Amino acid sequence: MSTTKMQAKPKSRLWGWLTSIRLTVFLLLILAAVAILGAVLPQDQPAEFYASRFGEIWGAVIWRSGLAYIYFSIFPPWFLGPVTLLAMNILACLIRGLPRAWRRAFTPLSGEAILSLPPRASLQWPRETDPREAVAGIWRRELGRSRRQILPGKEVFFHETGRFRPLGPYLVHAALLFILAGGLIGKFWGIEGHLRLMQGEAAQSFVVGETEKPLGFQVRLDRFQVQFYEEGGIPKEFRSDLTFTQGGRELKATCRVNEPVSFGGFTFYQADYGTQLKGQVRLQVLQGPRRESLQAPLRQWLTLPGGQGQIMVIEGEANLQGFGPAVQIAYKNGPEHPLFFWVLKDHPEVAEPIGPYQFALESANFEMYSGLEVNRDPGVPWVYLGFILFLPGFYLAFFRPHQCWALVLEKSPQGDWQGRLLGSSPRAREDFDLRQARLLEELKRGTPS
Amino acid sequence: MSQLLGVAMLIYLGVAIILVMAELWSSPWMQRAGRGLLWAGLALQSGALIGRWYASYQMAAGPTPPPVLLEKLRLVIFQAPLSNYYDSLVFFSWCLPAMGLLAFRRQLQGWLGAIVAMAACLLLAKASFGGVAADIQPLMPALKSNWLLIHVVVCFLGYAALTVAFGAALLYLIQDYSPREALPALPLLDRLIYRAAILGFFLLTFGILTGAVWAETAWGKYWSWDPKEDASLVTWLIYAALLHARLLKGWQGRRIAWLAVLGFLAVIFTYFGVNYLQSMHAYMT
Repeated sequence: MSTTKMQAKPKSRLWGWLTSIRLTVFLLLILAAVAILGAVLPQDQPAEFYASRFGEIWGAVIWRSGLAYIYFSIFPPWFLGPVTLLAMNILACLIRGLPRAWRRAFTPLSGEAILSLPPRASLQWPRETDPREAVAGIWRRELGRSRRQILPGKEVFFHETGRFRPLGPYLVHAALLFILAGGLIGKFWGIEGHLRLMQGEAAQSFVVGETEKPLGFQVRLDRFQVQFYEEGGIPKEFRSDLTFTQGGRELKATCRVNEPVSFGGFTFYQADYGTQLKGQVRLQVLQGPRRESLQAPLRQWLTLPGGQGQIMVIEGEANLQGFGPAVQIAYKNGPEHPLFFWVLKDHPEVAEPIGPYQFALESANFEMYSGLEVNRDPGVPWVYLGFILFLPGFYLAFFRPHQCWALVLEKSPQGDWQGRLLGSSPRAREDFDLRQARLLEELKRGTPS
Repeated sequence: MSQLLGVAMLIYLGVAIILVMAELWSSPWMQRAGRGLLWAGLALQSGALIGRWYASYQMAAGPTPPPVLLEKLRLVIFQAPLSNYYDSLVFFSWCLPAMGLLAFRRQLQGWLGAIVAMAACLLLAKASFGGVAADIQPLMPALKSNWLLIHVVVCFLGYAALTVAFGAALLYLIQDYSPREALPALPLLDRLIYRAAILGFFLLTFGILTGAVWAETAWGKYWSWDPKEDASLVTWLIYAALLHARLLKGWQGRRIAWLAVLGFLAVIFTYFGVNYLQSMHAYMT
């Protein structure tokens, strides 16, 4: 990538703009600003969240303008716009510069090009001494592998490092394009869902967003185990022993955190675990002096005795924050927003009146589930290819500066040898100077004069 | 262990004072003494780090350590003292003199050396007196990964290099505003900002990539737009802009120095700021 001069033709003007480094720097800083917004502003929350956090007006502005899902918003394309432009910018620069860099890296320097390198020092040897073998030794010791060219009355030693440096930046930028392409592939052809399984339960589908998708095979949770460091503390390990069956094929595998399992094109990740309600819940409903026991099914509205409202059991926890079994209930009376509250089995004293009622939890059955993340992302290999290319590219670009060294030995008509040291290194001055000093010192030590 | 770190903190403070005095009196032997002392502080802190690593391993292994060598090694890698906020502060502080002495040997003296030593001292002070829980906690399952060690080490070495770039940028801006004998020459600082930014950018990139690979094996997503990830992306973009502006647009001096300052603010935000947001890197707090 480099700056280009403005050109007259509109097509080349667009091309010039697209390949300009000014655009690159501008886009990088714009993307940084967008990502700051994305980091500070909570993302992917429901509209009500923004309304309650930022007020009605600002909440609506944030929600409507796509700032709430800044990385995925297509209109306006807060992130996708600049990132697409950046991808085009990178691609244009690759197209423009890669062929030349490729030629430079793979065409060895011609004899004339070597002889026209900038001169650095000249050396003289006394008559009757042939410095060639000594010089070859020093050259090999100091610089390593070299080319040696013998011409009539002339001998050229040539050494070059970092020949592939010009490819480095292109490798890095190609790597970035692979990563972006992988992201795009994942977005379009990837699938991301989850699955909750109870011990002994089998499933043939998983949940993506709100819908069920078939897996194309069966997965069964044979056994689920959780180990704790100490009672009530953080878990040490949790694992799901799974059996996959497809046709006649069967695979048994253990899925742990950090140890995913793949089968039939999907990968299963151990994400979490928890307890959920099993069957119906038995509640006690108090209304004044009246006390009634009732069975409440899961997630169904149930009219309360006395008819002054309805309840629905939302979910349950076998041990809610250390306070024992609890169920969450929604209560509504008429068209207003439902009221959500928890009822604790072991702590009936904290129950507060809900409308004219008071609730107590008589019994509830819980079972443990294993939460699995189920994914398929065909973009991942491309992303990883980008990761792998990035490192050598960066190494070439920044840590392998280009250096050329040549020593031309010539025999004068009088029969004594003279030498000229040539060399260049446009990007690593300090290193070059140090090396030159050492080379000259060695070469001069080899000459008794 | 905490006494050792306390001594290291005092040593770093001493180094900062000695190096500033060395600059004010232009005394070469004080420069040497300051650097020698910095080495001593680094050695001491390395000892403390290894001690904590050993204690953490002992705690995880319990009375019956794994009999197989490979499993033992796995446990050693898992138990590197890098798993909570306290550990990260101590390790960040270790990275500063380590990075400075190893990668910027010749430039790490005088004011720049003092800035690096002072930053290391402040991080240790925050770890010791900042109300940060210092006990070794057992690892949660998500952190049990070979990637933990490499991801954290690379990221913090990157932060350290970027801190050096920031120090050089600060000196550049001061020198540029009102030239002083005692400060390093502008071209020297300019080159130093650039070199430190390259190294830091490389390490930061490597840190992000290892984090992505780890996230893919742990959560099934190499990138989740988590605030920590966003912030690291911001940092990455700013330094990418810096390198492009300098290499291809020929920016030098003041503008590059300001970009290095901006980039460092992003580093600070990535490291500290994100603790105040909802993040999957929540084990940091």
